[in-house]
Amino acid sequence: MTGQQEIGPESGPYPSGLLDLEDPPRLWLLGGLRGAPGIAVVGTRRCTRYGLDLAESFGSAIARAGWTTVSGLARGIDTAAHRGCLRIGGHAVAVLGSGIDVCYPPENKPIYETILGSGGAILSEYAAGTPPDRWRFPARNRIIAAISAAIVVVEAAVTGGALITARLGAELGRPVFVVPGDVDREMSEGCNRLIRDGAHPVLGSADLLEELSLVVGPPASVFDTRHGIPAEGVSIDDLPDLWSLTITETLIKLGRLEMEGKVRRLGDFVVPV
Amino acid sequence: MYAATISVALVGGDVRPVEVQVHVGRQNEQFKLSGLPDTAVREAKDRVRAAVVSSGIRFPNRSVTVNLAPAHLPKSGTDFDLPIALGVLAASREIPPPAGAVVVGELALDGTVRSGPSTLGAAVLSARTGTPCLVGRAAAGGVAAVPGSRVHGVSSLAEAVNLLRSGLEHVAGVAPEESVEPPEDGDLSEVMGQPLARRAVEVAAAGGHHLLLHGPPGGGKTMLARRLSGILPPLTGAEAVEVALIHAAAGYERGLSRQRPFRSPHHTASRAALVGGGSGVAVPGEVSMAHHGILFLDEMAEFPRANLDTLRQPLEDGHVTVARRGLTARFPASFHLVAATNPCPCGFRGDRRKPCDCRPALVARYRQRVSGPLLDRFDLVVKVGRLERDANATTSEPTLVVRRRVALAASRLRDGNLGLQSSAREMLDVAVANGLLTGRGGERVGRVARTIAALSEGESVEEEHVAEAMALRGEW
Repeated sequence: MTGQQEIGPESGPYPSGLLDLEDPPRLWLLGGLRGAPGIAVVGTRRCTRYGLDLAESFGSAIARAGWTTVSGLARGIDTAAHRGCLRIGGHAVAVLGSGIDVCYPPENKPIYETILGSGGAILSEYAAGTPPDRWRFPARNRIIAAISAAIVVVEAAVTGGALITARLGAELGRPVFVVPGDVDREMSEGCNRLIRDGAHPVLGSADLLEELSLVVGPPASVFDTRHGIPAEGVSIDDLPDLWSLTITETLIKLGRLEMEGKVRRLGDFVVPV
Repeated sequence: MYAATISVALVGGDVRPVEVQVHVGRQNEQFKLSGLPDTAVREAKDRVRAAVVSSGIRFPNRSVTVNLAPAHLPKSGTDFDLPIALGVLAASREIPPPAGAVVVGELALDGTVRSGPSTLGAAVLSARTGTPCLVGRAAAGGVAAVPGSRVHGVSSLAEAVNLLRSGLEHVAGVAPEESVEPPEDGDLSEVMGQPLARRAVEVAAAGGHHLLLHGPPGGGKTMLARRLSGILPPLTGAEAVEVALIHAAAGYERGLSRQRPFRSPHHTASRAALVGGGSGVAVPGEVSMAHHGILFLDEMAEFPRANLDTLRQPLEDGHVTVARRGLTARFPASFHLVAATNPCPCGFRGDRRKPCDCRPALVARYRQRVSGPLLDRFDLVVKVGRLERDANATTSEPTLVVRRRVALAASRLRDGNLGLQSSAREMLDVAVANGLLTGRGGERVGRVARTIAALSEGESVEEEHVAEAMALRGEW
């Protein structure tokens, strides 16, 4: 793998947040880091569609605000957050728990490539070729927490990497934002506990941007919709309510937008192009 | 001494006359049966002899030879008992020959006549040839509804003998019974929410479009599919006969119900069960039982791929050819395909509340179980989401209202005056040119747009119809 460089506290691009750690690690870097504040979006791999939708919309919203979306390239919430960011051409940073050139899970190779192709960065403590061993992931989480200005937890069980990231972030003084969930759902339990322990509940994309701008300064642009569809996309089931149209009218409008090439379908999900 | 009676065999969803030829010779007592009888037919010898004797009639103690002609056609079932018995009695001059009458019925040892699956076939043959038919009393009223048939019902061999002695032409046939319609499979108004799927079901019904419903368990995919049969117009008289004949060939008595068949084979069903099989004689499969009705494949991706691909011939041709030892039969199989499938093996991919446990590679493999050419047959592909418990229960249209609209649209489609407006045509062409749709996809959208235009009582296919058709062409 070419283009990778090893960076340490003495190097120019070294994220200053890492200096908050007791032993700032040396890292491998692929692609480019920017000075913009990074916001971590993390959560479980075993997420629901609800979680995916939210993570993707947060990823988009953060990117639209001109900030960097940070996550771990894992399945589920991480993937959705990266995808949301990349969809609108945002700056994404992925911190790996494997060697810098090892894309895990393998099906995220397109995301890995797109991050690099769109000016984002891949970071890892591990040299090229290191396999994705389970025990490396918690260590990776402390890097995510350290390089981010704030941490957003979308869905998390009480056991899991997302909670580790949140706790490490809190210890480093990073504000933690959490999506509240049903009390009887496994993948909300971790989130709800964080809220009980003092994290900020997130009430939606707009609310998140507002809260974040208090932490990292005002966003570069504002959250918007195009062709009546939120930039982060919407499920086709929700369109009639969103547009206040009957199902037939909704389908006609959607079909027209699609034929004009203004929206795209991802399964039953509709996103503006 | 020789006599012949006419009976009937069900072959490939149609009827064929079978001549039951009986010769009573001078040799010592014996009973021979030829003409490719199966075991059930061969055992007629014992039933016939016992029934004749029990009815107080002399059974000839001579050599009896029975041939079922055409002799190369395999015969099955017990409905040849009565024609054989009457043939034997006619050949031994106990009764006058039942000239031309079509006779079917199974004999009990005490001479009682029971109705078998060929009863309907006898009525159909009777209508076709203009001759009366003689069948078991139990089913006589039901099959008498076949237009143009003249049906006589008898409850015993003795009664049949008396009827023939007095001459069939002097006796009136039985009156047709109104067939009792089984209750509908539930009303469309019971489906909560799901406006998208509901619209797709209506369009599917009006235009005969094959429909694929996908989504997590518990969304009501099966419920919607069952209600689709309710909003289709009822079978015509001729269709009802066609359908009943196929069901009879499979050994089911359906009566002349106007309700469209709804067949829902399990995914473990064998290929023979799906397209037809049987040993010796050809038995129709689910695709034929669903003729003029709905074939519903629940959990389509769980069906073995090879079995699914056998559906392609009937989907293309509207019939299946079943080749069996001794006979190749063609069954009609023009059905409306409705399939339901989960998004992934665990069923919760894309669900808003429950996590999906499936690895991405597994999901990809799951979808590959349905071949592209088969997926291509579905003009309408819609998602059926899981219902939130607090779904606002807006009262939705009942089946009857939708059925009326669908019937109107269907007749408008049959009249075929719905042209594509130039702007609509252009819209489609541009979508194809831009690669948004494949050529085939464009045709599908055009077809669906025509149906939508018919439903909206338009004079021609307009842009908005094409747009809606486009939106109903989802992806699984």
